[in-house]
Amino acid sequence: MMSMDSASSNTGFAVPDGLRGRYRRRRVYSALGWLICGTSFVVLGLALLDILFSIAAGGFPALSTKLFTQPTQGVSGGLLNAIEGTLILTLGSVLISGPIGIGVGIYTSEKRDHFFARVVRFMSDVLVGVPSIVLGLFGYITMVVGLGWHFSALAGAITLSVMVTPYIARTTELALIALPGSLRESAYALGASEASVVFRVLLPSCTGRVLTGLLLAMALSMGETAPLIYTVGWSNYTWDGHLTHEPLGYLTYVIWSFINEPFQSAHELAFAAALLITAFALAITLSSRLIFRYLDKR
Amino acid sequence: MLSKNCSYRRSMKVIAGAALAASSICAASAATTLNETGSSLVYPLFNLWVPAYTQMHQDLRINTASTGSGTGIAQSTQGIVQMGASDAYLSGAQMKKHPQMLNIPVAISSQMITYNVPSANDEHLKLSGPVLAAIYNGKIRYWNNPTIESMNQGVKLPHKRIVPIHRADGSGDTFLFTQFLHKSAANTWKTGYGTTVSWPNVQGGIGATGNSGMVTALGNNPYSIAYIGVSYKDQIKKAGLGEAKLKNKSGHYVLPNKQTVPAAAAKMVPKTPKSERISLIFAPGKQSYPIINYEYVLVQAKQSDEQTADSLKKFLTWAVSEDGGNSMQYLNQVHFMPLPKKARKLTETQIGKIHS
Amino acid sequence: MSAAVIRTVNQRSRAARSFKRTAFSVLLRGFSLILPITLVGLFVFLIWGSWPVLQFNGLGFLVSNDWNLGSQYGTPTTVGGHMVLPGASYGVLFLIFGTVASSVLALLFAVPVGVMAAMFVAEIIPEGIRDMVAAIVELLAAVPSVVFGLWGYVVVIPVFSHYVYPVMANVLGFIPGFGQPVGAGYGLMTAGIVLALMVVPIITANVREAISAVSRGDVEAGFALGATRFEVTRKIILPQTHRAIIGVTILGLGRALGETMAVLMVCGNALNIPGNIYSPVSTMAAFIVSQLDSALQDPTGMAVASLTEIGLILLIVGLVVNAAARLLLWQVRE
Repeated sequence: MMSMDSASSNTGFAVPDGLRGRYRRRRVYSALGWLICGTSFVVLGLALLDILFSIAAGGFPALSTKLFTQPTQGVSGGLLNAIEGTLILTLGSVLISGPIGIGVGIYTSEKRDHFFARVVRFMSDVLVGVPSIVLGLFGYITMVVGLGWHFSALAGAITLSVMVTPYIARTTELALIALPGSLRESAYALGASEASVVFRVLLPSCTGRVLTGLLLAMALSMGETAPLIYTVGWSNYTWDGHLTHEPLGYLTYVIWSFINEPFQSAHELAFAAALLITAFALAITLSSRLIFRYLDKR
Repeated sequence: MLSKNCSYRRSMKVIAGAALAASSICAASAATTLNETGSSLVYPLFNLWVPAYTQMHQDLRINTASTGSGTGIAQSTQGIVQMGASDAYLSGAQMKKHPQMLNIPVAISSQMITYNVPSANDEHLKLSGPVLAAIYNGKIRYWNNPTIESMNQGVKLPHKRIVPIHRADGSGDTFLFTQFLHKSAANTWKTGYGTTVSWPNVQGGIGATGNSGMVTALGNNPYSIAYIGVSYKDQIKKAGLGEAKLKNKSGHYVLPNKQTVPAAAAKMVPKTPKSERISLIFAPGKQSYPIINYEYVLVQAKQSDEQTADSLKKFLTWAVSEDGGNSMQYLNQVHFMPLPKKARKLTETQIGKIHS
Repeated sequence: MSAAVIRTVNQRSRAARSFKRTAFSVLLRGFSLILPITLVGLFVFLIWGSWPVLQFNGLGFLVSNDWNLGSQYGTPTTVGGHMVLPGASYGVLFLIFGTVASSVLALLFAVPVGVMAAMFVAEIIPEGIRDMVAAIVELLAAVPSVVFGLWGYVVVIPVFSHYVYPVMANVLGFIPGFGQPVGAGYGLMTAGIVLALMVVPIITANVREAISAVSRGDVEAGFALGATRFEVTRKIILPQTHRAIIGVTILGLGRALGETMAVLMVCGNALNIPGNIYSPVSTMAAFIVSQLDSALQDPTGMAVASLTEIGLILLIVGLVVNAAARLLLWQVRE
């Protein structure tokens, strides 16, 4: 090996020493470059794992059947009321924002070249950027105080829908635009009206993608805190069926508020709530990714 | 087509009817709900009270939330919650705007001055209002400052920079502490008092969130000083941090405990007006601890309906009664003191004013 | 059935169809108006809510550095036609500084790390498992903001304030703003780190997409010239994704500027401009939450109006940032 190496460097057609050194240096630089890139990836991965690990470690002692069967009592007990409240708020917000968001998405994709559609798209991007606490303040002053609904499921669900509608609109629009133009053309050629083209041809062929948008909206609204503090309040009890005048518990409140209490049981509940909400959000995001992949393969 | 439409419409009607019926059933069987929000100092106490009380009154639901005194004030005056918890009584301007509000004390609380000087954490260092004002003003910068040393003869203090910690969020504790500085060091403390004040800019000074945050910051920063609500006494002990003796109005150094807090209350309670809006800070008397206060529940005199007014009255009466919420079984856990007799009488009269 | 009946049925169905058609277009038009109405409504609401302070503060709001709610137990006084608490003044320069500084810091971490992680995933990880591996980073986007805050509070703050910041202060202490004291861990640096983790998934996902859109011909030409894989990625692929990187950086900036809960839990909520990179700061969005409680005590309502004005500024900033991103994207398309 040694001898061969020295022999080749002595022969005429070998790469000159300088160039060879430079090539080696380039290889080393490349390896170093990939090392740095790999490290940044690993750092991010470790951060996610550490987040999951630390909330799991903190929340694990509190995991029991009690957590799912009992409501909160002060700063101990279970989380039944909070889990139920989070589900109600999430479903409620998607029920409101779903039809509206899909409608807006249909508009911006059908009239995509109109000037006004561009305006709508721009405004929806701006709306995404509005800090959620501003929406909370808006909800508090208009609905909680102004309309006299007090802290309530409805005020919270509406505030959340303002937040997630732009996301649903965007995914719906992208899903519709991604459909082949021939689909649209052949439907119109058969004499179908615009409404039936959209509802009977276009939407059914991209149900999955629209669904992923709805799922992402659910994950988003489930993880929100700031807009709910001043619209939903907090309740130690399970929901009694009133849409207004009745505050509701929700998981993110437990995280943000109980971690500041001087009791061990409060901290455990905060971590348990973090564990649950993260598990829900990750599960929803993962399943929407799987749906998306499955659709892409098809 | 037509018949299909009809059946569709009919089914919609049925669904709507069912929904209406369901909601009316819910309304009929609904229990009375009382909502409480506000002070994070009172919150742990409410959380001890509510499960015990609702155990006895199954038809009553009481929601508690720890949001801060300001939220308690705002939401009780707007009628969004029935009870607003606050470390401070309503100001004159607020009473003028909302004359129907009642300021109902439910217990007496106090505030500790705590510090982290590793060599002196077991000593109970002696401090005074003017010294604290100078520390938070940035005039006294080192622990071995002559003024502090002369107060604490025999204690060796290090030449280390003092790190003053204050609450960064709006807080009843800030209100109590700054009011103490305002009353005891009127000449040097010019920042005024309130739940948020614009703190003088002291190099190295730290803002912390919540009482938990104060305890953590104090533990993490050697040579720091902080004011912390008495409900966190156990946490301070567990962390091995120091609790200072404070100079009271008559020049004696005292710790907050079961003698000094009642002693201060004994001096101030007789001065309590009928509306019970009074600051208990810096009481006279040899034994008196200088930073104590009434913990208030703010209530509108006129409630929306009879049932609510009735439940509210009953709950508050239980909360302030000696064999109810004011028994040591609850108060010991948060280191609060029960209402003295005279104050309880005034409070009961005020509770009696709640009507529908 | 007689011809007349058939005709009426036909007419009726034609009428129904044309009714349906108009209904659909009306419905569509209605939907088109919902978002603009919401946004304009929000705008009007914020201006209405902050109107008294807009007059009271003027431009001083943005350039002065003095946030004081005034003496809460004093008697309200009239200043310039407005009832305010004695001593009240509202200046939020420190918030603008804190918001911009924490967001810029976050992007300084997130953009290089995010881009490099995207390069790694797109070029080194085999295609079969690429989506799965990428998910590890991109799932960070699914973690709720308040959970990031909790993690920052129980992990980042203790670990960094004990082990990382003291070392940083010793090594980088010669740079102004990087020296001691490192404080309790609540502050600008911690907020920047947590924010960086929150914006990184957006960057990685978009850059990865942009890399996969680069023409394979260019890449193969690079290899044919004898370049290493890293050189091809760095010198051929990356330059073609510059626009996408800038666009996604602006999007990340928008997200970081408006982030509330996570920042609130780790920033330390200071009321002044930080002394160094470790000192407590406050951002506009976090400040609204942390001060709303005290502001609600103000019987004159000026404090809440001032917080509303902060909300208004955030909305306008969001408008500008998005307009910038959009302009850039239009340029990309052309």
